[in-house]
Amino acid sequence: MTTHEQGQAKRSPADWLLFVVGFVLFSALGFWGTPALLYAEKPQPFQFSHKLHMEQVSDGCKSCHYFREDGSFNGIPALEKCKDCHSDSPMGDTPEEKVFVEQYLNQNRDVPWLVYARQPDCVFFSHAAHAENAGLECAKCHGEHGGSTSLRRYEYNRLTGYSRDIWGWNILGLGGPPKRMKMDDCANCHRDNGVRDACFVCHK
Amino acid sequence: MNWDRRAFVKFAVGAVVGIHASPLVPKLMDDSAIWTQNWNWVPTPEKGALAFANSVNPETGTGVRARLIKGRLQGERLIKVEGNDEHPASRGGVAPLDIAAPQNMYYGDFRVQTPLIWDPLSGIHKAATWDQALDVVAKKLAELYKAGQGQTLAAIGDDGESVTGEILSRFMAAYGSPNLAFMPSAKQTLALAGWAMLGERNLGFDLDNAKYVVSFGTPLLEGFGSPVAVRKAFAGWRQDYKHTGTLVQVESRASVTASQADAWLACKPGAEAAVALGMCQVLVSQGLYDKGLAEGALGFGDTDKGKGFKALLDAQYTPAKVEALSGVPAKKLTETAVAFAKAAKAVAVCGPGNAGEPGRLFDFMAVLALNCLKGNLGKEGGLVVRQPLPLKPLGEALAPVAKPRLDALAGKRLVNGYDPLSLAKAALAGAPYKLGALLVVNCNPAYSGPQASQMAQMVKAAPFVVAVSAYLDETAKMAQVILPSGTWLESWGDSLTPYGSPVSLYGLHRPLVNPYPQAQSAGDALLALAAKLGGPVAQALPFATTEDALKARTGGLGDFAKLSQQSWWAQAKPAYGAPAMKTPSGKLEFFSMGLHNLLTAKASDGAAMDKTLKSLGVTLSGSAALMPHYEPIAASGGHGKLVLAASPGLRTSAASQTTAPWQVKVLDNTVLIHGKDLVVEINPATAAELHLREDDKVRVDSVAGGAEARVHLFAGVAPGMVYMPVGLGHYAPANAYTFERGGNYNRVAEATADPLSGTPVWSLTQVAVTKL
Repeated sequence: MTTHEQGQAKRSPADWLLFVVGFVLFSALGFWGTPALLYAEKPQPFQFSHKLHMEQVSDGCKSCHYFREDGSFNGIPALEKCKDCHSDSPMGDTPEEKVFVEQYLNQNRDVPWLVYARQPDCVFFSHAAHAENAGLECAKCHGEHGGSTSLRRYEYNRLTGYSRDIWGWNILGLGGPPKRMKMDDCANCHRDNGVRDACFVCHK
Repeated sequence: MNWDRRAFVKFAVGAVVGIHASPLVPKLMDDSAIWTQNWNWVPTPEKGALAFANSVNPETGTGVRARLIKGRLQGERLIKVEGNDEHPASRGGVAPLDIAAPQNMYYGDFRVQTPLIWDPLSGIHKAATWDQALDVVAKKLAELYKAGQGQTLAAIGDDGESVTGEILSRFMAAYGSPNLAFMPSAKQTLALAGWAMLGERNLGFDLDNAKYVVSFGTPLLEGFGSPVAVRKAFAGWRQDYKHTGTLVQVESRASVTASQADAWLACKPGAEAAVALGMCQVLVSQGLYDKGLAEGALGFGDTDKGKGFKALLDAQYTPAKVEALSGVPAKKLTETAVAFAKAAKAVAVCGPGNAGEPGRLFDFMAVLALNCLKGNLGKEGGLVVRQPLPLKPLGEALAPVAKPRLDALAGKRLVNGYDPLSLAKAALAGAPYKLGALLVVNCNPAYSGPQASQMAQMVKAAPFVVAVSAYLDETAKMAQVILPSGTWLESWGDSLTPYGSPVSLYGLHRPLVNPYPQAQSAGDALLALAAKLGGPVAQALPFATTEDALKARTGGLGDFAKLSQQSWWAQAKPAYGAPAMKTPSGKLEFFSMGLHNLLTAKASDGAAMDKTLKSLGVTLSGSAALMPHYEPIAASGGHGKLVLAASPGLRTSAASQTTAPWQVKVLDNTVLIHGKDLVVEINPATAAELHLREDDKVRVDSVAGGAEARVHLFAGVAPGMVYMPVGLGHYAPANAYTFERGGNYNRVAEATADPLSGTPVWSLTQVAVTKL
């Protein structure tokens, strides 16, 4: 038996446990540490209940999220739209409405909502082309919101500044819209529906 | 189990494999890529509300929608110029010059940002306030005025029809100087030709509805009238890959228009009018003409007073004779003429030359005669009369200035025009009096000419020069006082019907953004100067701003607020129907009584008339001299053996709006090569005689000036010719992108006066080509 073979014999299979420990520890760090490191939560200016508003308005979602005459989309309503119903004094008795009236309405400031679906500047997107022409449901990309009583948690990526909804809440980036809104999701849907997916369709 | 080196390595390998099995690496790579898009030095427009505003580019007549971002901390920013779908002429299209406008506007180094006054001690222009600059100018002008030397002020403007042009005209008339000239344009020539034959100055070609178009040497697809409107009409002739309309180009070079045409009649340079007259002869000899109109016209048939136009055609312009004059085969000419005569909606088109020059009166008259014989006058797809724009004058007409003109040629001319070149020649000669001061408004004659070298000499020699300019261009940098004017995107102004449009169009532009707050409308600068001068000048211009002047001017176009929002006004549709002839005879005139009356005012009998005509450079005598006929162009110069002509392009600008930085980048190797060398086209046979090869460096010299260039051999150009692109060769160093890129056609071309009209023309110049 050579010296080398003697060294090998001394090693037990338990030594390989260290490999497994390293693997498990660091892949766990990758899975749980990455989102903790990358994402940070930002509070919305105040809470908002879609359900409560849906009960008050006559035209459903379209009461606030509608297409303007020129075809552009009123996605996040500006203060002017809120003023259609809200006046100087609160309509209800929720603390959220009090914040809204005192800090925004009375001071004539737009609410700086954090937008979950905000895409980078380099992307051109038209709601009219998707919701009007192609007849896509809003929920296909944005999920169901009409019945929610509070706003979801908003997290942003510390490196890029974009909302966590873009990569998706699953750190593996699995799933498609409404769980994720990456470029591949746009391209896949375009390809599946026979719509051009060339670069300049969105990156103008 | 020992914690030794091997155990550690196992753990480390496990860790590395583990971390790679997690999404950390791909996720961080993706985020890093996105992070690079958001570096704070990457230029991205600041967020703000998007807004659109309408305007009309006075240079191209294109109706545009400007995209603006509002609500930014640094003020509004204009980010893009797009087509306006609602504009009746341009219908959503844009020309390179339109989309280049924002880049020019934000080109801070090249813009005049504040009033500048020349400081002779330090040898540079020094920044001043508007008040200081206007005081310097007003003091000088008041001195001249008080000394009874008002007439020694001369002015050169860009467009005499615009509101700025009218303000300048009133300013000069009230100040007491007759020496005002505007840049010559083909609009003047077409108006004059129309007046001479039909008594009508507002003529247009109904290209949209025409199905057979013959273009006589005009750059139809490379800058004719409103370039976008013409391209839209062309698109109508080429639908679904089918040729629904026929385009025939008569030209000496295989230009873009010729290559896109269904037929190209390659003719000798400058002989396009002979081809038009040859077609007239075919129409008449084969009985394919509008007999009712022609027989009733003045000067068609022979009378006891002399031979008519028909006899002139038969004597001089039979296809065989035209073949000798123009080089177009008689058979081909006859075929084209017959096809033209038989086509339902056919029009013959004349227009500006390839260098944007105004064209020659007799050439235009020959084309109008062809249209009249075809019988397309006032018909759909033919030659139509526009409704005059209902604009109001800025005040009561001012009495003509009694002082003599500086331009000694004035008395000799048949048509009482004034052009910058004769002004420059007279100013340099210093007779009958010397120039006291020069006012240049929104144009750059030292670069764009006519005959740039002569214009530059005049500006240099003038004792006091005031330039109202948006850019630190060739003319402005020679001025004693520079007053900053705004571009059309940031100032008030207007533009009238583009050349050749079948309907009257009015374009209004207003300030959309204001990146340089000191820059004002050129009209505002003149109004402020008038107010400073006081007296009759201030009385003639009782407006505080150009906006007020525009309100007065457009009183007949409806609500001003609405008009300025819409930015254009248009005649609803072309006015079809036989027009009433407003000629002295009340008929169509092949023999122009209008021109004859002007001539009899100068010469009493036939012999004296012939002498006068000869002195004006008309080769024919008797009644034929006042009919549409072909005047061979004696290429001016007497210098060298070759003849220089221009090759046009939509990517460069030879006129007042300067070529933008990106436009220089998109020029191909047949215009600009090796980054900075101008390319001239020469026929391979001619090049062989001169022992020139492709890419040889040469110097092209005329009596007017010269330019260096590289040779490009091209069989599509006529032998014996040199074709040079226009719009390059700037020498104002403030524009680093156009500075010394290529040579300037306008410095090589020599301008001569057109017979009869006296307008400068610079389409052909004799040159010598020397290999370097």
